[in-house]
Amino acid sequence: MATASPSVFLLMVNGQVESAQFPEYDDLYCKYCFVYGQDWAPTAGLEEGISQITSKSQDVRQALVWNFPIDVTFKSTNPYGWPQIVLSVYGPDMFGNDVVRGYGAVHVPFSPGRHKRTIPMFVPESTSKLQKFTSWFMGRRPEYTDPKVVAQGEGREAQPG
Amino acid sequence: MNPREEKVKIITEEFIENDEDADMGRQNKNSKVRRQPRKKQPPTAVPKEMVSEKSHLGNPQEPVQEEPKTRLLSMTVRRGPRSLPPIPSTSRTGFAEFSMRGRMREKLQAARSKAESALLQEIPTPRPRRLRSPSKKELETEFGTEPGKEVERTQQEVDSQSYSRVKFHDSARKIKPKPQVPPGFPSAEEAYNFFTFNFDPEPEGSEEKPKARHRAGTNQEEEEGEEEEPPAQGGGKEMDEEELLNGDDAEDLLLGLDHVADDFVAVRPADYESIHDRLQIEREMLFIPSRQTVPTYKKLPENVQPRFLEDEGLYTGVRPEVARTNQNIMENRLLMQDPERRWFGDDGRILALPNPIKPFPSRPPVLTQEQSIKAELETLYKKAVKYVHSSQHVIRSGDPPGNFQLDIDISGLIFTHHPCFSREHVLAAKLAQLYDQYLARHQRNKAKFLTDKLQALRNAVQTGLDPEKPHQSLDTIQKTINEYKSEIRQTRKFRDAEQEKDRTLLKTIIKVWKEMKSLREFQRFTNTPLKLVLRKEKADQKADEEAYEAEIQAEISELLEEHTEEYAQKMEEYRTSLHQWKARRKAQRAKKKKRKQAAEEHPGDEIAEPYPEEDLVKPSPPEPTDRAVIEQEVRERAAQSRRRPWEPTLVPELSLAGSVTPNDQCPRAEVWRREDVKKRSVYLKVLFNNKEVSRTVSRPLGADFRVHFGQIFNLQIVNWPESLTLQVYETIGHSNPTLLAEVFLPIPETTVVTGRAPTEEVEFSSNQHVTLDHEGVGSGVPFSFEADGSNQLTLMTSGKVSHSVAWAIGENGIPLIPPLSQQNIGFRSALKKADAISSIGTSGLTDMKKLAKWAAESKLDPNDPNNAPLMQLISVATSGESYVPDFFRLEQLQQEFNFVSDQELNRSKRFRLLHLRSQEVPEFRNYKQVPVYDREIMEKVFQVRESVINRFLIAKQYFLLADMIVEEEVPNISILGLSLFKLAEQKRPLRPRRKGRKKVTAQNLSDGDIKLLVNIVRAYDIPVRKPAVSKFQQLSRSSRMFSEKHAASPSTYSPTHNADYPLGQVLVRPFVEVSFQRTVCHTTTAEGPNPSWNEELELPFRAPNGDYSTASLQSVKDVVFINIFDEVLHEVLEDDRERGSGIHTRIERHWLGCVKIPFSTIYFQARIDGTFKIDIPPVLLGYSKEQNMILERGFDSVRSLSEGSYITLFITIEPQLVPGESIREKFESQEDEKLLQATEKFQAECALKFPNRQCLTTVIDISGKTVFITRYLKPLNPPQELLNVYPNNLQATAELVARYVSLIPFLPDTVSFGGICDLWSTSDQFLDLLAGDEEEHAVLLCNYFLSLGKKAWLLMGNAIPEGPTAYVLTWEQGRYLIWNPCSGHFYGQFDTFCPLKNVGCLIGPDNIWFNIQRYDSPLRINFDVTRPKLWKSFFSRSLPYPGLSSVQPEELIYQRSDKAAAAELQDRIEKILKEKIMDWRPRHLTRWNRYCTSTLRHFLPLLEKSQGEDVEDDHRAELLKQLGDYRFSGFPLHMPYSEVKPLIDAVYSTGVHNIDVPNVEFALAVYIHPYPKNVLSVWIYVASLIRNR
Repeated sequence: MATASPSVFLLMVNGQVESAQFPEYDDLYCKYCFVYGQDWAPTAGLEEGISQITSKSQDVRQALVWNFPIDVTFKSTNPYGWPQIVLSVYGPDMFGNDVVRGYGAVHVPFSPGRHKRTIPMFVPESTSKLQKFTSWFMGRRPEYTDPKVVAQGEGREAQPG
Repeated sequence: MNPREEKVKIITEEFIENDEDADMGRQNKNSKVRRQPRKKQPPTAVPKEMVSEKSHLGNPQEPVQEEPKTRLLSMTVRRGPRSLPPIPSTSRTGFAEFSMRGRMREKLQAARSKAESALLQEIPTPRPRRLRSPSKKELETEFGTEPGKEVERTQQEVDSQSYSRVKFHDSARKIKPKPQVPPGFPSAEEAYNFFTFNFDPEPEGSEEKPKARHRAGTNQEEEEGEEEEPPAQGGGKEMDEEELLNGDDAEDLLLGLDHVADDFVAVRPADYESIHDRLQIEREMLFIPSRQTVPTYKKLPENVQPRFLEDEGLYTGVRPEVARTNQNIMENRLLMQDPERRWFGDDGRILALPNPIKPFPSRPPVLTQEQSIKAELETLYKKAVKYVHSSQHVIRSGDPPGNFQLDIDISGLIFTHHPCFSREHVLAAKLAQLYDQYLARHQRNKAKFLTDKLQALRNAVQTGLDPEKPHQSLDTIQKTINEYKSEIRQTRKFRDAEQEKDRTLLKTIIKVWKEMKSLREFQRFTNTPLKLVLRKEKADQKADEEAYEAEIQAEISELLEEHTEEYAQKMEEYRTSLHQWKARRKAQRAKKKKRKQAAEEHPGDEIAEPYPEEDLVKPSPPEPTDRAVIEQEVRERAAQSRRRPWEPTLVPELSLAGSVTPNDQCPRAEVWRREDVKKRSVYLKVLFNNKEVSRTVSRPLGADFRVHFGQIFNLQIVNWPESLTLQVYETIGHSNPTLLAEVFLPIPETTVVTGRAPTEEVEFSSNQHVTLDHEGVGSGVPFSFEADGSNQLTLMTSGKVSHSVAWAIGENGIPLIPPLSQQNIGFRSALKKADAISSIGTSGLTDMKKLAKWAAESKLDPNDPNNAPLMQLISVATSGESYVPDFFRLEQLQQEFNFVSDQELNRSKRFRLLHLRSQEVPEFRNYKQVPVYDREIMEKVFQVRESVINRFLIAKQYFLLADMIVEEEVPNISILGLSLFKLAEQKRPLRPRRKGRKKVTAQNLSDGDIKLLVNIVRAYDIPVRKPAVSKFQQLSRSSRMFSEKHAASPSTYSPTHNADYPLGQVLVRPFVEVSFQRTVCHTTTAEGPNPSWNEELELPFRAPNGDYSTASLQSVKDVVFINIFDEVLHEVLEDDRERGSGIHTRIERHWLGCVKIPFSTIYFQARIDGTFKIDIPPVLLGYSKEQNMILERGFDSVRSLSEGSYITLFITIEPQLVPGESIREKFESQEDEKLLQATEKFQAECALKFPNRQCLTTVIDISGKTVFITRYLKPLNPPQELLNVYPNNLQATAELVARYVSLIPFLPDTVSFGGICDLWSTSDQFLDLLAGDEEEHAVLLCNYFLSLGKKAWLLMGNAIPEGPTAYVLTWEQGRYLIWNPCSGHFYGQFDTFCPLKNVGCLIGPDNIWFNIQRYDSPLRINFDVTRPKLWKSFFSRSLPYPGLSSVQPEELIYQRSDKAAAAELQDRIEKILKEKIMDWRPRHLTRWNRYCTSTLRHFLPLLEKSQGEDVEDDHRAELLKQLGDYRFSGFPLHMPYSEVKPLIDAVYSTGVHNIDVPNVEFALAVYIHPYPKNVLSVWIYVASLIRNR
C-alpha cells in the first residue's frame, strides 16, 4: 500500500539494566522485552534478553548489579506506540522454585541523551489468603500470562456495572 | 552555554567526523605528544583519542618523524590539508606518510623562508599578520619566559587563529605577567598544561570563520575570559604552545628533539609565587563584582526613563525573594558581561518571572533518613469525625466546630388568587393590588420629585443666562446651559410619563371599585369587607390655575426654543444640500452641452444617454414652526396627563370597613363556596438543600384567604446552604395534601442576623387547574365577569409568603455563620467546575453587587491570574443578566483538546488511515507502519468495502483475571479428595480418558504457538484400482440396483479381468495428506479399501498479519484439506537385465477424494471428532468402489443405505483457543414487546430443560435488529429454469433446487461481517450477496420447498463438522428427509451417516417447536410436531399466532444467467489454472494434451447435466476409446464459484502436478454452468496421462 521506500525515523536504544534493589530477595535475574505500537518495527539488535543471575553486593547498598546491556534499533512512522521496555525479575524462593519477583515497565526516553530510570516493580497478588498460602507453599505464585501486559492498557478500562 | 562557544564546538565535531581531517588531527596530536614527551596522557582526554594516542605513546623512539609532523601542524593552520588522502597504514607511519611529509616539509620551508623575509620588515607594526617572526625561536626551549614577547605572540594569535581560539589566548593573556622562572624548571604554564592538557583536535575554523575572528579581535576578550570553562583553558594553553611551535624554525626543532632524552630527566625546583604576586594575578584574572547598588541609568539604555509597569496598572507577578546584595552582585556582573543590557527590564530591574514557589508542597515530603520515616509512620490519634455527606460546599472539619444556625420566620401567607375566590374576591384582590401600587407610588411621589427637579433646572438655566453674573468663559456657560436644557427635556418627559401613570392608576382604581360595586349590587351580597373611599382635597383654584398656565407657558417656550434650534439646523442642512444640488446641476448641464457638441461632431456615435436626470431633486426648505401648533399640542398633553386646575385632588382610601353578608342571606352556590373555603387548610414545608427539615402547622384558610403561621424555625446546619425552599401544601377536608407551589427563599447574606432581618414577601404561583362547582372561579380556567361570557379571564393560583430568614446569634453574641473563607472557596471552586453560571442564582453566592464593590474597594488586581475567576464572576454578575446557555456541554474542553480540526483530519490521508485503524475497520485492523507522509499513501488504500453492518455493535472485549494472570487454583476438598483418589488409580489405564485442556486467550500468542492437530483414524470404502483394460474391451453397462447409485458394477471385478493382479496384490494403497495454509503433512501408506492409520499430524498455524487477536482469528478463511491419495508404485525398468540386481520404482500418487473443513469451524468447535463423507469426484478414472459382498455382507447391508467413502477424523487446535464470546446484547427491535417477552420466556424455559439443545426464536437481521424467526420462512419461487427441467418429477426438481442452493458460496458470518455475530439475511439479500452461511442456505431451501408445496421446516441442531447449524426437514411420502443445504445432499431420517447429530428445534412459517423428547438424535426422535408431549410449540392456545408478516420479499426476481460472461470466465479460469500448474512444476516441462483436453471438455457439460451421477461408465468407455494408449488418471472437480483462489487451492490440493514422470502429459478443462442470479457451477477436469509403452 505504501510506496517502495517509505520514510521512517529511527530510534536507537543503547543502555543497560544496571542494578536493582530488592531488599528481601537475592540471586535474581531479569528479563527485558519491548512493547511497541503497530507502526514500529525493530530493525537491529535484540528485542528480548535474559540476564545472568546476580547476587547482592556485600556492601551497604545491597544492590543487585546486572549491568546487562540493551542495544536495539527501531524504525517507525509514528510516535504513537513509542517503545516501552518491560522488565521482569525472577529469582528462587525459599524452596528453590523460580518465582517472579517483579514486573515493571517504562517508556524508552523521548529525548536523546543519557537517561537513568528507576522503575518501581510489582507482582500480582493472590486473589485470596488461601491462594496466597498455597501459592507460597507450592511455589507457583500468580504471574502474568505475558509480562507485556504491564505495558499495555487493554482491558484496564473501568468495567461497566 | 554561550552560543558562540557552541558554534566552535560544532565545528570541532565536524572536524572529527571527517575522516581525512581526523587523520590530520591525529597527526597533530601525535606531534604534540612527541614534542612534550614528559607529559603523560591527560586523564580528561576523550576516550577515542586516547586510544589512538596511546598506541603512539608506546613508541616514542621515532624522533625523525616528529619533525615533519610538526611542520604539518603549522600547515594545517594555514592551508587546509583536506586535499590529502587518508593514509591507511597499520603503524600510522607508513611510507606514504613519509613521502607526504617530505613534500610538505619542502613546501613549508620554502614558504617559511619567504615569510621570514617578509616578516622581518613587518615587525614594527603592532599587529603582525599570520606569519611569525623567526626571532621567537628561543621560546621553544623556555616556555613562557618572556612575557613581553608572549603578549606579542598572543596578539598574533588573535589574528591568525580562528575565532575559536579567542578564548584560548585570553587565558594566555592572563598568564602573561608571569614572573621569570628559573631555567630548567617547568614554568607555571607548563605545569598547568601537564595536568589540564586537552588533546582536542585542532579546530580548523580560521578559514571558515573570518568574521568571527574579526570580532574576536575587538575588546571582547575580557568578557570571554570570564566565561571560560576550565577544559577550554587547557585547550588554550595547548594552542599557545602550538603557536610557539609554529613560530619556530624547523631545524631548531629537529635539534631540540635530539635532546629529548635530556628533557625527560630535567629537574627543576618547585614553582613558587609570592602572595603579592598571586593577588596581583588574581586581580588580573578575576572579576569581583561590587556589592554596590547599580544606579538605574546604567541598567537602562541611554536617555530612557525607567518605566514601572505595576504603576501603569499592568499585572506583574510577585518576584522571587532575593537578597538585595545578591541582586546587586548579579546586576554588576551582568552589566560587565553583557553591555547590551538585555537582562534588564524597563524598570531597570533584572527580568524575572513571577515567583513559582507554591506556598504548600505539592508532593509528600521525601524522607531520606530512617528515623524520620519512623517518625512519620507514628500513629497519631485523631478523634473520629462524623462524615457529612454533601456536595462541595461542606463545611470542613478544619473549621471551628459548632453548628451554624439559620432562623426562618414564616409569618404568613396571602393568596392573591385561589380557586375558591368568588368573582368579588377577584376584583377585591385586584383592587387591593392596585391600591398597594398606588400607595407605593404615592410614597415615592416621583412626579413631585421630577417637577421639583424641573423647576430647579429651569432656575439654573435662568441664572446661567443672567448676564450680570460674572462668567469664566462664554463657552463653558453655553455648554452647561445646553446640558441643562437637554436635562430639562429629559426630566420633562419623565415627569409627564409619571404623571400620566399616576392618573391612569387612579382611574383604574376607581374603575375596579365601580365594577365591584356593581357586582355586589348584582349578586346582592357582599363577600369582602373592602371599601374604597375617595377623598377630595380642594385646593386654591386660582393659584392652581396660575401654576398650570405658567407650567404650560414654560413648556411652550422651551419647545419653541427647541424647535427653532432644530429649524436652524435643518436650514443649514438645506443650504448645503441646495448648494450641492446647484453645483451638480451646473456640471450636468455643462456635460450635456459637451455631449451635444460631441454628438454634432460625431452624429453616429451617440448611442445612449448614460446620465439620466437622477438625484436632481431640488431639496425643499424646512418649514418654520408655528407657535400655535405647539401650544395646541402642549395643552392637549397636559389635559390628558395632568390634573386640571379646576379638578379637586382625589385621594383613594381603601378600608376593610365593609360588612360581609352572612351565610343565611346568600344564595346556595355562595354558601357552598364558603363552606369549601372553610374545609381547606394550608401548611408549609421548609426544605433545606432539597431536604425537608421542618413544616409548619396546618392552618385553615380564612375567608379572606390569608393564613397566619407566625412560626420561627431554627435550622442548625452543618452544610453550606445551597437552597432554601418552602413548599406550600393545601389540604381539602381529609384528603391528601397537594403541593400548590414552591417558593425559593434567598440565602441571607452573612450580615443579616436575627433581629435585623426585615420581613419580606415572596410571591409564588401554581399552575394547577381547578374547576369548582360553586361560586368559586377556579384556577387556570377562563371565567368572565360579563353576563354574555365575553372578556374572559384566566387566573392562576398565586400568593405571597411573608417571611424573614437570618443567621442566628449564639449565646455569646457571635453570629452562627459559616466562615466567609469557606464560602469563598466553595463558590470559586464551584465556579471553576461549572460551565454554565446558571447555578449562581441558587447556590450559596451572596450579593454580587457587594462582591463587586468589595473587589473595587480592596483594589484587587484584575490582571492577577489568581483573581481571574472572581473577576469573571463579578463582570458577569454586574453586567446585568448572567448568560445562561440553553444547552449543556458534555465535554466542555473537547475542542481545546482536539488534535486537529475534523476537516483537517479528513483531509489528511495519514490521519484517515490512523483513524480507520483505530476504529478496527477490518481492512485496516492490523495495518502496520502507517506511512509518515501523505504522499506515500496511495488513494486506492481507501477503497473500503461498504460495510453491511454499520449498526452492528461489537462490545469491547474485557479481559478476565485468568486472561492476565496465571494462578494455581486453590485445592478445595473435592480436588484434594480426587487427587488422593488418583493416587490409587492405575498409572496407565487401559482406556485413558481425554483430559480437558487449558484454554488460552488469543492475546499473547505469536507465530508458531498454535498448531493444528489432525488425527486420522481410519477410512471406509476407499475406491479401489481397476485393472487397466484394453481399449477394445467394451464394458457392458451393468444393471444397477436401486440402492447403489455409485457402485460400479461387480462385473468389473470378475476374475477374468483380475488377471493383471497377482494374487495378494493390494487393491489400493491409500494415504492421507493434510494441507493447510500451504503446509502439507501426510500419513504413512496403509493398504486396502478400509485402511486404518491412527496417526496424528501436526500443522503449524499462522494468523493473517501475525495478529492473533480473537477478531482476527475469527476471520481466517483458510480451509483444511484432507486429501486421500492412492500410492501407486511403478517399476521403472530401463533394462530387463537389471531386474535381478536392482529395483527402480517410481511412486505415483493418485488423488481419490478430499474432505474440506474450514478453519473457522475448528476454531469455534474447539475439536472436531467424527466420521466424514469423503468428497469423491463423480468420475474417478481407473478406480471404482469395491463391493466385497461376500466378506462384509453383514456390515454392508447397513451401510449400503448411503453411498460413498468415509473417513474418521479428530481435529483440534493446540493450545485450545477461546473463541470470542458471542454478544448477547439487546438489539433494538420492531417486534411487539409482548412477543419479545414471550420469546425470552420460551427460551428460558427451553434452556432450563435442555440446556444443550439449540433453541432459536429471534435472530438479528442484517441491519442489526431483532426479528422473530418465523418471519424468514415464506414460500418463495425458485428460478423458473429449474422448474422447467423436470416438470413432472417433483423429487428430481427438489434435488435440483437443493443443488442450486448448494451452489451459492458458503461464507461464515464471522468472516463476512467480522466479530462474533450471527446475522440472518433475507433470501433476496442472500442471493444478492451470493454468500452466506448455513442459515441463509437453509432458509432459502426451505422457502423453495414450501413453494414447491412440500411440508418443510427449518431444523436447528448440531451437525459435524459445522457444529450448531441449520438443516431443512421435509416430509415426503411417509418419510422424513433431512437436507443439508450447503452440500445439497439429503438423508433419510434413519441414515446412520447423516451428519446431523442432534435436533434442537423445528421452525415453520408460523410456529416454533422445541424438541422436548428424551433424545435428540434424528434417528431416535419423532418428527411429528402435532404431539405436544414431544414438541413444545411457541404459539399455542394461550398465545395464538398473531399473523406476523414476513420479512422476505413477495417474490424473488432472477436475472437470467449470462452465458457469454460465464464462457469468458471459463476461459480465464482455464488459463489461470494451466499457468498455475506450470508454475507448480518449475523443474519439469509441462505438456498439455490437447486432444484429451477437448475430450474432457466435452464430458463436463454432461456431468453437469447429470449432476455428476450415472456417467462414470459411459465416460470411461469414451475415454478408453479415444485414449487407449495412455495410462490415465484424472477426475473432475466440482464446486460453487466465488472467486478463483479456492479453485486454485482445490486443484493444488489434489496434487496432480506432483507427477514427475518425464513423459507425462496433462489435460485440463473447465466448464462453468451458469444458473440464474449468477450462481455458477464450476467443473474442473484435471488429468495426467502417461503413454503406455
